[in-house]
Amino acid sequence: MDLKVNDAYTNMAVDEAIAKSRGEGKAPDTLRFYRWKPSAVTLGYFQSVEDEVNLKALQRFGFNLNRRISGGGAVLNSERGEITYSVILKEDDPHVSTDPVESYHYLCQGIIEALDVLGIKADFKPINDVVVGGKKISGNAQIRRYGAVLHHGTLLVDFNVREMFGVLKISKEKLNDKMIQQAEDRVTTIRRLLGRQIGFPEVRDALETGYRKALDVELAKSDLTPYEEKLVKQFRERYASRNWIYRR
Amino acid sequence: MKRFEYKVPGGKLLRVKLEVEAGKIRFLQLTGDFFMQPETDLEELEVQLIDSPVDFATIESVIHGFFLTKKTVITGASPSDFAYIINQAVKA
Repeated sequence: MDLKVNDAYTNMAVDEAIAKSRGEGKAPDTLRFYRWKPSAVTLGYFQSVEDEVNLKALQRFGFNLNRRISGGGAVLNSERGEITYSVILKEDDPHVSTDPVESYHYLCQGIIEALDVLGIKADFKPINDVVVGGKKISGNAQIRRYGAVLHHGTLLVDFNVREMFGVLKISKEKLNDKMIQQAEDRVTTIRRLLGRQIGFPEVRDALETGYRKALDVELAKSDLTPYEEKLVKQFRERYASRNWIYRR
Repeated sequence: MKRFEYKVPGGKLLRVKLEVEAGKIRFLQLTGDFFMQPETDLEELEVQLIDSPVDFATIESVIHGFFLTKKTVITGASPSDFAYIINQAVKA
């Protein structure tokens, strides 16, 4: 599914809708690319809003707050700084290991291949990251539900350290230059590595090539089925509800 | 409210918030960036620990007993890590 821009609630509802549809045998294996508007902080299923998010800054920036069905860490899904992707396969797909780390390794391979297309040498870092020279460029989360495995993650194209530090409670210390330096030492982006501006279409094309190679599959463009559209409407209500977002 | 957080070596960050009254756990919430499936098992574990005496042996036995009956897959943490952070929070 080609690169589309949606708000956080729709984005998460689409991933879950495809997972349900795939698990029920009503959709093929799916690779989806997407972006976020407005930017959003997305919490892992087991994280608490209080511990992870600076709500005042979130409001000031006009970002959404959302919670995934998958575990893992809080992410700033930035409107201008990243591409997100999901891979949805049958849970019993023979290529997908039941061992979580092996399964992450397999489904992160498309990101590593995509970066290779762009001339960047990246590695898988257990449990769920892709790194370049030890710096994180992609974080991933998986969940098995409805008989499907949903792997979704983010690839950093650009990085606004002040936005990220503003909304995520990475540390209780006040934002200062030393911390910005520390963040820049831990995280990297495609733009920084290439030393040039790069548009989303180029990254999207690299991701398509990368996943085609890594999973050894042919890809055909399609859109949500009417059944998936119906599920998206249903799931979106849950994702946008206060009960869901503030459950922890 | 007692709190404790712990980064599992090579794993994920775990946090606990709890309240103790008359030597028993009255409130408990486990959070963090770990992975657990089925995810509802975490809430069930929290419920199991309510009213548990706060000595380490009891907490450890409730947690290990709980996971023995389940097919939970935890990534980035272990049942012992949950017992450890609860114990540390109790002592805090």
